Amino acid sequence: MIRWAIVMGVVAACVGYLVYSASGGASEYYVTVSELRSHQPASGDVRVAGVVQDDIQRSDGGLHVRFTEKDGTASVVVDYTGTLPDIFKPGITVVAEGRLGGDGVFHARAVLAKCPSRFSTTSYTS
Amino acid sequence: MPVTLLDNLIYVVILAFIGSGALLAGLVMAVFSALLSFWAGSTDNSVMIQVGRRAFYATAAMIFIASALLETALVTHDFSLAYVTEHTDLSTPIALVAAGFYGGQEGSLLYWALILGILGSASLLASARLGPRLAAYAAGIMASIASFFLVVLVLVASPFDVLAITPPDGLGLNPVLRDGGMLIHPPVVLAGFAAFAIPFSFAAAALLAGRFDAAWIAHTRRFALVAWGLQSTGLLLGMWWAYHVLGWGGYWGWDPVENVAFMPWLATTAYLHSSQVQERRGRLRAWNFGLVILAFLLVVFGTFIVRSGIVPSVHTFAVSAIGPWFLGFLGVCLVFSIGLLALRSGGLHNTGEPAPAVSREGAFALQNLLLIGVIAVVFWGTMLPLVSGLVGQERVVNASYYERASGPLFAAILALMAAGPLIPWRHAGAPFWRSLTWPAAASALVLAILLAAGVRGLPALIGVPLAAAVVSTVVYEYARGIGRWRRAGGGWPRAVALLARRRRRYGAYLAHLGLAVVVVGLAASHFWQQEKDVTLQAGQQVTVAGYTLIYSGAETRELADHSELVAAMTLGGQTLEPARATYAGLGGQSLTHVAISSSPVADVYVVLAGTNSDGSASFRIFVNPLVTWIWAGGAIIIVGVILGNTGRRRQVAEPVTASVPSAVGAS
Repeated sequence: MIRWAIVMGVVAACVGYLVYSASGGASEYYVTVSELRSHQPASGDVRVAGVVQDDIQRSDGGLHVRFTEKDGTASVVVDYTGTLPDIFKPGITVVAEGRLGGDGVFHARAVLAKCPSRFSTTSYTS
Repeated sequence: MPVTLLDNLIYVVILAFIGSGALLAGLVMAVFSALLSFWAGSTDNSVMIQVGRRAFYATAAMIFIASALLETALVTHDFSLAYVTEHTDLSTPIALVAAGFYGGQEGSLLYWALILGILGSASLLASARLGPRLAAYAAGIMASIASFFLVVLVLVASPFDVLAITPPDGLGLNPVLRDGGMLIHPPVVLAGFAAFAIPFSFAAAALLAGRFDAAWIAHTRRFALVAWGLQSTGLLLGMWWAYHVLGWGGYWGWDPVENVAFMPWLATTAYLHSSQVQERRGRLRAWNFGLVILAFLLVVFGTFIVRSGIVPSVHTFAVSAIGPWFLGFLGVCLVFSIGLLALRSGGLHNTGEPAPAVSREGAFALQNLLLIGVIAVVFWGTMLPLVSGLVGQERVVNASYYERASGPLFAAILALMAAGPLIPWRHAGAPFWRSLTWPAAASALVLAILLAAGVRGLPALIGVPLAAAVVSTVVYEYARGIGRWRRAGGGWPRAVALLARRRRRYGAYLAHLGLAVVVVGLAASHFWQQEKDVTLQAGQQVTVAGYTLIYSGAETRELADHSELVAAMTLGGQTLEPARATYAGLGGQSLTHVAISSSPVADVYVVLAGTNSDGSASFRIFVNPLVTWIWAGGAIIIVGVILGNTGRRRQVAEPVTASVPSAVGAS
């Protein structure tokens, strides 16, 4: 019983250490567009969610894209190179992962879309 | 097809009225079965125990009727039902229309209840040997779980709500989900979760009845294995689907929705191993109860997270009124299970003698702790946004957190998979230490090959040799068994016959082998993936990781409800056609069609980003080594599970130290 408790304690300590050390560089803040300008941490990426506006400019066959992401009243221009989620279009909510540059443009490393994990496209209420 | 008022009325009456009636009757039956079974069990009233059990069968029958009616409404395009209108339309292929049964919120709850009804009835039909009390309590608990689902189906999420005006067509299915993966991934995952309600119910019933021996484990082993097999298959199918459809070159993103499906699988894996310690050696009694409870709570927790949308996820399911209901259910299950365990903790003494640390028992115990550790890592990562949001700025962890925190734990589990099957029960002597030579040699050999090939990444240098050690252990065990029986007389036929007879054990080894193959595939495709963004004119070529692709041009094809931009690329003698479809009817939503050239060595994975005004086209190209190994390993696991589950139990004459009271008054 004591031996069992010691093993448990050791495993728990290892897991605790792993969680602590791994979350150091791997956690990002979730911010709103309005918080982005005032709350960006000194280093690391942030995630910002917002609605894609209809000013999408694509270049390079769609691999490079620039669009405005709006959340309530605040908006920010997002610049991203890479493949976009299929459902990306004006009006959908995306989560951009990256940093706000000195040029006031949010340079995204990844753009995730809220996936439509249900059958219907809109709700039909009786 | 004109729908007359009379037709409409008949449909509404038959489908909606009888459907909701069946659900309501099922709810009444389930509540009746739960109350009666608990009462009859506590008073040992064998007649009422029978009545309570039959009421559960009746509940299952009602759920089945409701399911059949909903499926009928779907395939006959009865748009008078809101559910049918919201989830299908006339142009959707009929197989996907039928899949609408579990595709929506309400239907997926009904599907869950259906699996519970079917498997629960099967587990009760076969429960004669358990004794009437334990079986009665199990019926009561399963009926209580069914009652919860039926309450939600009747009160908040009925699939039989009727629309005031029947529309001519439904809203249809999002093109992203119009895929064969939709037919197989969701039902398998959901069934895997629902199936785990069976071991949970019998464990809780054993606690209630004060029967702490391994009878409940033996009785529900097949259900636990079915649950594990379905969860494993479901997870792999989800990865396969994401890989082939989404076009980001990967298959697992540590998204909360994936994590909450992964945690019950980890807990079930732990339970499949620790339950053997109790069956064979009479130890880990309290632990097994705790583990089954944990696995079931994780299933309910996962459903709550997915349905409530409280954690930011790439997948946002229909967030609806059922979130709080599931939170309440989770709370009730938590209080009930923990309370029951605390109440009975005094009686949960182990009967078997303790074993030294280096023994099969010790290996299973350590493996269990490590798996719980992985669950803790994943749980923390999943819940961090919620926890941090409560105390300050909301934070999320990215994939590297999960890799760095769980990687060392998985490495230790792999090492145990290599050594564990070789360690005898009770005591490890000199033969065990000698038998370790094989896995050690295999991993050293693979390590040397990797180093010679120029691999320098530490995770791959640890993971792949360990997987090789696991494979070597499985091969060694097979060879040892066959060799021993062959020498004992009878030659090969007898050896194979014995192998087949002990397929419970050899099936499990096969599952280990499959998992090792999956691990190699995961490691290779993760650590050695190559990626290139490129813009090409027709006739130009690009080389990624030694694969040369030539772009030969693009064309636009007009199809019924969408147009497709198809690019042609040649790779050796093959033509790959990555495409991008655009659905005008859905606000111009586009859909990627990834082109994949698979081989056992690597997948060449081409995504078309689009074409430019100068006639060039832009692509993102991935070379993913050994991805096919993941799917092949998955297939081996499934074969192993099926073999293991068809085997009869306890072929090996091991002493059963747990004192099993004989089942009294079996009905």
